[in-house]
Amino acid sequence: MSDSASALKGDRFIAYCTLLPSALILLLLVAIPTVLVAILSTQEVGLGEHSGPFVGLSNFIDVLTSDTFYRALVNTIIWVFGSVGLDMLIGTAIALLLSKTFFGRGIARAIVLAPYLIPTVVAVLIWKYMFHDIVGVLNYLLLKVGLIEKPLLWLTSANTAMLSVILVGAWKFFPFVVLALLGILQAIPQEQYEAAKIDGASAWQQFVKITLPHVLPVFLLTAMLRTIWTFHKFDIIYLLTGGGPLDSTTTLPVLVYQKAFVDFETGNAAAIAIVTGVILAFLLGIYFVLIKLAEDKQ
Amino acid sequence: MNKQLTSTFSGSPRSEAGADALFGEGAIAKFQRLSNRAMIYMLALTMVTVVGFPLFWMVISSFKLPNEMYLFPPNFLPAEWTLQNYSDLFTQTSFGLYFLNSLIVSVGATSLSLVIGGLGAYSISRFRFFGIAGFSRITMLCYMLPEVLIVIPLYIYVVELGMADTLFALIIGNTAFTLPLTLWYMKSYFNAIPASLEESAMIDGCTRLQAFRKITLPLALPGLIATGMFSFNHAWNEFLFALVFTSSESNKVLSLGLATWIGQDNIYSWGMLMASAVLVAIPVMLFYLLVQRKLVTGLADGGAKG
Repeated sequence: MSDSASALKGDRFIAYCTLLPSALILLLLVAIPTVLVAILSTQEVGLGEHSGPFVGLSNFIDVLTSDTFYRALVNTIIWVFGSVGLDMLIGTAIALLLSKTFFGRGIARAIVLAPYLIPTVVAVLIWKYMFHDIVGVLNYLLLKVGLIEKPLLWLTSANTAMLSVILVGAWKFFPFVVLALLGILQAIPQEQYEAAKIDGASAWQQFVKITLPHVLPVFLLTAMLRTIWTFHKFDIIYLLTGGGPLDSTTTLPVLVYQKAFVDFETGNAAAIAIVTGVILAFLLGIYFVLIKLAEDKQ
Repeated sequence: MNKQLTSTFSGSPRSEAGADALFGEGAIAKFQRLSNRAMIYMLALTMVTVVGFPLFWMVISSFKLPNEMYLFPPNFLPAEWTLQNYSDLFTQTSFGLYFLNSLIVSVGATSLSLVIGGLGAYSISRFRFFGIAGFSRITMLCYMLPEVLIVIPLYIYVVELGMADTLFALIIGNTAFTLPLTLWYMKSYFNAIPASLEESAMIDGCTRLQAFRKITLPLALPGLIATGMFSFNHAWNEFLFALVFTSSESNKVLSLGLATWIGQDNIYSWGMLMASAVLVAIPVMLFYLLVQRKLVTGLADGGAKG
């Protein structure tokens, strides 16, 4: 009895000792900074200073009544819907294709996953070269096929910049959807399809009655996860366009960076960061509810 | 095209009966199967071409001579294959230094996370003391937080602690994300290793630490390697902290260094940029080949945030 009690005590000691460093690091690097952002968002912080007098909600009022914020909010919504929509569409189609067995599938899968594995800066370098106004291969190919009549200024025109950024984002991140869906597609028992075939079900009927119900929960969770990650994506947009031209690709994370480290309006930047965080918390809430629903269903 | 053919054949019973009479029983089914196969190969080929073309273009362009990079219409294969872009990278730019800096930061953040997070994950997985379950949920939340939310206070830390423009600041900054990643992923890995193995070792006289070291740790090694790779990949990719925390040429990591080269055509030719892209992509592609199976399941579980 006393033996097991002392063993328990020893275990408790080990448990808290091993968790302490992790807890401390997360406290210092994540928890306290999150609180600090909230505090900064209520301060008027001058140039080169790291805190300032309390000004209540005036930073939030400044931000929420400014055109730049709304512009960035609308841009973020377009960016998220465009990228996630394309991710899901292409990802689902390719997952369905890769779930079939065919010669060379392993290589095909490796090529399809590659964009997701390469660093963002690599993807940006490649596409910057392909988008190039004068020597870009993309304009050349599209001109040749006849899809466009004159070269497009992909990243340097306010009309096409967002579209270009969305295209690169979709190319880079759709493989995540393939991975997520491929796993679940391959887990569907094949007997169900064979039974359906014997009963004379068409390919479309098999898809609607067997594939869809199996895949739907994972599909929704994946879409939500992609929405969350796409929403706070900074590097790919910043590296491709820097938020321009004419702010046409400035999303909320890019705006936070610009306000904080280019305009040095730390208070306003913190307020935008908090608004971004609140929207994200809302999205995360939906995600966790979806996970709960999916678990309950099982 | 193929689809059209099959549907005309299978859609009308009369033609099917006619064809059966002509070619014998089962000919239609066979034809349908064949054209289905053809469809799959056509789609697969299209997919691989469209998705793979940018990668192909990167590799091909990196072997072209500078004057060929600016040809329009472009050559699809180099007129003359050259390694000049690669040698220029190392002789004329700080690419080697950036590469080394990226290695230091990625290895630093990964080892820190593996040691601290690996131990923590073990305790989260094995013990049910007060606060542990709650802490486990918080780590998941930390992992989902955006960098942009905490970058401002972290920058203030870095400046006030005199760590501005150091690689050390980047190692610490990256740990904010690689540590929760390690905790979260290794917890499920430890969960999959039966606790009964340690318990029987402890009955045989091992202490818990001995049991952990001799039994659990070796079993967890593949998980540690996979987690280490995700963590390395995250740090290798990281850009925002690098942009904000570091500035001097000697402390630039690859993501920041290459970003500053874009648009300076006169100094850094597209050939050099493509060659650097190839070299930066190689480590992660190698990882993929090494741990393909593990990686695929791990990535699908959210092992790489992005």
